[in-house]
Amino acid sequence: MIDAAPGTGWYVYGFAADADSLEHAAADAGPIRLVRHDGLVAIVGEVPLDEFGEHELADHLNDPAWLEEKARRHENVLQAFAARTAVVPLRFGSIHGELDEVRRLLESRQSQLHGTIDRVRGRVEIGVKAWVDTARLADTLRGEEGASSSGTGREYLQRRRQEQRRLDEVRERCAELAAEAHGRLLSVAVEGVQNRPHPPELTGRPEMMLLNGAYLVPAADTALEAEVGRLAAEHGPFGVTYELTGPWPPHNFVDDRDGAA
Amino acid sequence: MSSRELVERGTRQQAQLADVLERVLDKGIVIAGDIQINLLDIELLTIKLRLLVASADKAREMGIDWWTGDAFYSSARRDNSLDSRLRRLEEKAGIPVSPEGERE
Repeated sequence: MIDAAPGTGWYVYGFAADADSLEHAAADAGPIRLVRHDGLVAIVGEVPLDEFGEHELADHLNDPAWLEEKARRHENVLQAFAARTAVVPLRFGSIHGELDEVRRLLESRQSQLHGTIDRVRGRVEIGVKAWVDTARLADTLRGEEGASSSGTGREYLQRRRQEQRRLDEVRERCAELAAEAHGRLLSVAVEGVQNRPHPPELTGRPEMMLLNGAYLVPAADTALEAEVGRLAAEHGPFGVTYELTGPWPPHNFVDDRDGAA
Repeated sequence: MSSRELVERGTRQQAQLADVLERVLDKGIVIAGDIQINLLDIELLTIKLRLLVASADKAREMGIDWWTGDAFYSSARRDNSLDSRLRRLEEKAGIPVSPEGERE
């Protein structure tokens, strides 16, 4: 039984399929210990409990600089392993007192983990975000309507109604464009999820996020990117632009669908 | 430039923090059971709210406050908050809209 040194705990980044070169990944990713069981490994790091203890963690999570550093560390460790084997990411902040607990965790979840690994092996997660310049979209829609409104400014109320109607049209078109994009991307992906778009207060960008999708695709297959290219060309006139992120470890595709724990 | 290059180019620059946090804090397997410490959902919510507030302030510092000033949005805001407007959009697009949101 290996206890963490007094004042430290074992932070589990994720699980992975065991492979020859994982010691290199562990070396690349900094001080990492591998816990092995039945073709599976747990990717573990020792962390100080004065940072990662239950109460200390709650405080630190509200420190943006600390949170960014640790969240990026979590991601970077997973990426170092994802470059060499199939990885099952854990959510941030899974900490155990003893390595034996981690081993028991591997044992108790082994069939589920093997199932998840089989599903994500050789595949990567690609993020696709679509942004819309709503003013440009409104202009385009106005163009489709043809020239509008009488020059006299006859009724203020009427113009107000028109404006409201145009706003509704913009909303509807945004929803249609997002649904079309997600549907087409799903058709070239193994799996896909549509996450909640980040609000403008978070992105700090003038465009509105229309689509915040994640797609699981074969690592060597570029069909998704090709489809994004086509969407960008077709939706460009509506003020929509596309952005690709990743490849990521399959964070969005490792939930409990492979059998309950 | 091939599409794959487009993706690889993205990896050369550091990923945006919001994309990392969304994945690392909100996705991935959650261990229940023989674990000493785990994050509670309420804590995650706190993080998100704080991030949101911090970013909004930062954006305003940089002079990005179009969502309060732009006439297009101001007229929308008379009867709809930005949030409810987004929510309706999300509903139409079939995006889950529970407060914690994104789990399927």
